Amino acid sequence: MTADISSLKNKSYELRKMVLDMCIKAETGHVTSSLSSVDIMVALYYGGILKYDPENPHWADRDRFILSKGQASPLLYTVLADAGFFDPSELDRFAQRDGIFGVHLQWDVPGVELTSGSLGHGFGVAAGIALGAMMDKDLFMVFTLLGDGECYEGSIWETAMFAAHNNLNNLVAIVDRNYLCVTDFTENIVALEPMEDKWRACGWNVKRVNGHSIKDILEALAFVRSRRSHKPLVLIADTVKGEGIDCLTNDPIWHGQAPKGKDAEAARVCLLMRQNDE
Amino acid sequence: MNNIAQRDAFWNRIYDIAAQDRNVILISADMGAPSLDKYRKDLPAQFVNVGIAEQNAVLIGSGLALKGKKVYLYAIAPFITLRCLEQIRVECSIMNIPMTIVGVGAGMSYQDSGPTHHVLEDITIMRSMPNITIHNITDSVMASAVAGMNIKNTTYVRIDREVFPDIYSPDTDFRTGAAVVKEGKDCYLLSTGCMTHAALHAAKRLEGKSIDVGVIDIYTFPINEEFLLETLKGVRKVVSIEEHFLPGALGSAVGELILDNGLPIKLRRLGITHAKGFCYKYGGRETIREYYGLDRESLDREIERFLTD
Repeated sequence: MTADISSLKNKSYELRKMVLDMCIKAETGHVTSSLSSVDIMVALYYGGILKYDPENPHWADRDRFILSKGQASPLLYTVLADAGFFDPSELDRFAQRDGIFGVHLQWDVPGVELTSGSLGHGFGVAAGIALGAMMDKDLFMVFTLLGDGECYEGSIWETAMFAAHNNLNNLVAIVDRNYLCVTDFTENIVALEPMEDKWRACGWNVKRVNGHSIKDILEALAFVRSRRSHKPLVLIADTVKGEGIDCLTNDPIWHGQAPKGKDAEAARVCLLMRQNDE
Repeated sequence: MNNIAQRDAFWNRIYDIAAQDRNVILISADMGAPSLDKYRKDLPAQFVNVGIAEQNAVLIGSGLALKGKKVYLYAIAPFITLRCLEQIRVECSIMNIPMTIVGVGAGMSYQDSGPTHHVLEDITIMRSMPNITIHNITDSVMASAVAGMNIKNTTYVRIDREVFPDIYSPDTDFRTGAAVVKEGKDCYLLSTGCMTHAALHAAKRLEGKSIDVGVIDIYTFPINEEFLLETLKGVRKVVSIEEHFLPGALGSAVGELILDNGLPIKLRRLGITHAKGFCYKYGGRETIREYYGLDRESLDREIERFLTD
């Protein structure tokens, strides 16, 4: 499928607005963690990369998408609602008494593969599914989206070594490299760079992309099903936490919370201005 | 009397099952055994060695289980329960992904290896989580039978390294979770795992002193309350015996049963107190038990004192 980049960009803004609205309404949710991943998710779900069927979420041959950074659940729920996995009105009930999902990812929501919220889990489970698929000679791919702060978890590197050793070339990891954790920038906490070298040393094919360029992400994943390398592939996607809403970016204070009152209105205006500038 | 290692009884049975079912996958955290060598040699496509990486073992196992595989994880008991506890909690308990976690080295069966290899907390911790069943293995017959069970949710199989005489017959239905292994009248020793052998010996010695006491082996957690309520009808005193820290394990489970059901039963819990803590004692299991007051003499003394009081 040839993706029309400008319509994909519009989709990104649409999703950002939906994420912001649902979190403002719920007065919770990891808005900025979601925003940094929007363009990656648009490339995967709307750019023709992932194979999925909203009518049949358990379709055996679907690609598996594992959101390992489960705090970005508002984004995945928005994408799944928009793609038709469930009624979009559920987004209005995010983290509400009568809602079907809350702040962290929940596996019984249609289209969600795994409960996630504790970090360092989804990536390993994704590798296990990829190994099982290889044993069964299945053709589907396993994609997983990690946070960069998640890479502090030791289990990430246990899995990274394992996946490369077992030639899981049906596994694609994307690291949302937004440089910001809960309290500070990663390079101030414990430096994660050189990130590419770390993954390469574990035996992975590594590509570094602009995580807000849908075109770059699509190009990096263009031939992902016919790679000749036996190695698993990791995309380190440089992003900005809070991307699209300038007043929420690059400040750790916005981790894990939704803007309220005047801040909420400012965030809406910021998003609108950014869209008009494009 | 079979007298084979519980570990070999378990893996030999899994070998037979795996040879007929390619969906059976054994994940080892760099653990070996003669019975595993055979499996690895004959069924290499169904054997995964993750290295010394228990967290990854649970995660890879979870992925395989989601793909429809029947997954068995194997490592030393404290490592495959406690090192990766949060993986077990999220994947096995919260998400209810089924797999069989096999830990070798129940209690102090790693003997002179010291407290890093002893495991005195795992029953408490694993029984605190929903969707997890514990089988604390008593003999090789049970080990083989448990290997043959169809599991619906995650099962922790707790294997002792010591070779004990078999006390069960091969036709035993182990789904009951507990069994009267020596009949008694109004007093019972309630034991688990290796201590069931110690309890049987103690009961026999007390018989010589005309003290009639039965033994119930409680090998599955959550405990089978219905069975115990029925079996303990009319019983006045019970002594729980476990090679485990006391808070939250067998004695606690029995205490909960008594309290919740308002039973007129006096309970004495024998096990390891936090005051005694961890020990760097060497010279074999009985020496270590001496330190903890779980050796033969101490058991006889404590049981007799309680029952004749």
